[in-house]
Amino acid sequence: MGIVDLTSMGESQVKLRNEINERLSRLQDEISDYCYQCAKCTSGCEAHKLLELEPHKIVALLKRGLIDEMINSDVIWTCMSCFKCRERCPQKVAPVEILFALKNMAVASGKQIPGNYTAMLQSVLSIGLIQDVKSITTRDNKTKSRSDLDLPEISKPTDSTKFQMILSKLAVEKV
Amino acid sequence: MKSYVLYPGCVMPTEQYAYEMSIREVLPLLEIKLVDLKDFSCCGEPIKSVNQMLSLALSARNIALAEKEGLDIFAPCPMCHLALSESKRILDSDPAMNEKINKFLADEGLTYMGKSVIVNTLDLLHDIVGVENIKKLAKKPLNELKVATHYGCHLIRPSEIGRPDDSENPQKMEKILEAIGAKPLDYPEKLDCCGGLLTANLPESALTKTGQKLQKVQEQGFDAFIDTCPWCHRQYDSKQTKAGETVAAKLEVPVFYLTQLLGLSFGISSDKLGLDLNLSPVDKLNLGGK
Repeated sequence: MGIVDLTSMGESQVKLRNEINERLSRLQDEISDYCYQCAKCTSGCEAHKLLELEPHKIVALLKRGLIDEMINSDVIWTCMSCFKCRERCPQKVAPVEILFALKNMAVASGKQIPGNYTAMLQSVLSIGLIQDVKSITTRDNKTKSRSDLDLPEISKPTDSTKFQMILSKLAVEKV
Repeated sequence: MKSYVLYPGCVMPTEQYAYEMSIREVLPLLEIKLVDLKDFSCCGEPIKSVNQMLSLALSARNIALAEKEGLDIFAPCPMCHLALSESKRILDSDPAMNEKINKFLADEGLTYMGKSVIVNTLDLLHDIVGVENIKKLAKKPLNELKVATHYGCHLIRPSEIGRPDDSENPQKMEKILEAIGAKPLDYPEKLDCCGGLLTANLPESALTKTGQKLQKVQEQGFDAFIDTCPWCHRQYDSKQTKAGETVAAKLEVPVFYLTQLLGLSFGISSDKLGLDLNLSPVDKLNLGGK
């Protein structure tokens, strides 16, 4: 079932829509919501051909206030954040930023976070980086670590307890 | 000699060592001193989809660490460069957000002041060092090596945030490559995305995006593919064989970091530039002379 089928019976969720609009205006003052559905965003979308993301429809659904329908759809997680839609929009609408807002809302409302995002988040919380230092393999199959390559020790939060404390306080904040 | 704090981010210092090695070799020759600091964390960009507030605050924290030293910031990763620049832009223009984030930073004794300038490899080399100074150091010209450039989406968009090059027709990498004797050529897929950010939740699709672009590059007969982003390089170089499988093609495109190619033309040995860490067939160009 496509996202449009899901929305044919939808009720407009005005409060959620306003929340997204407020958030966008707080983050980027040059972003507008004057979309006239020219679909220039979709024609250049990196995720369109491969994964059927249609940014202009995301904007239309936001205008109709059908937020829950989008939050519950996997489609919002196909965006590669290439920012072409925002760059090329003649009306200064930014579908990519709407998608960030929707994904954030999906996570905040307790929906399952797809793929490796949970692992990345946990890693940031525990060591400050999305992944720990790896040993890598050279083209002729030798294993090398940072120190083998004479690179200095990696920079990461030294007081990890304090760092975690700050992050957990922050994580419940909204933009 | 101008000093910058090197903000390494996550991907470069945990696995893309060749980028870090070549940066540390090449930049001092160009009168750029790199200062290492402790305590840096992720910039927040990779988890922006999960919680944008965290991204903003993590970036502000990293900027604040560098500001404590009174230095400008060099972020070689385009994702980090965008995250830091976006956070700076929001904190500089929104007093309420600035106050809110600084309250959190105060717990670690940090303050975001908004004084440090944030640069990436591309503007550092092109705008600050300058193409003429790069040309002076090029001892081993690259004999008209026909190269395709890949800028990476985060490096050139969104332009409102202030990016190192033009969003639709970036040419700074071309200028740098011409200065060391290579022959960069534009191609229709130049601005296509590597798909790298989908690795978190749709790894197969990410590889397909990579394979599709690289296949076109190969078909057009380029000698090498040049990038400056550790996320993109991981896709095009480290995962090239797998990317080829997704488009049923045998890909054999030598992929280099821009700084590796600069290093080779400056006469730095291939070991010091981490050339044996490139998993794409870079040997076939015989540039290193091991």
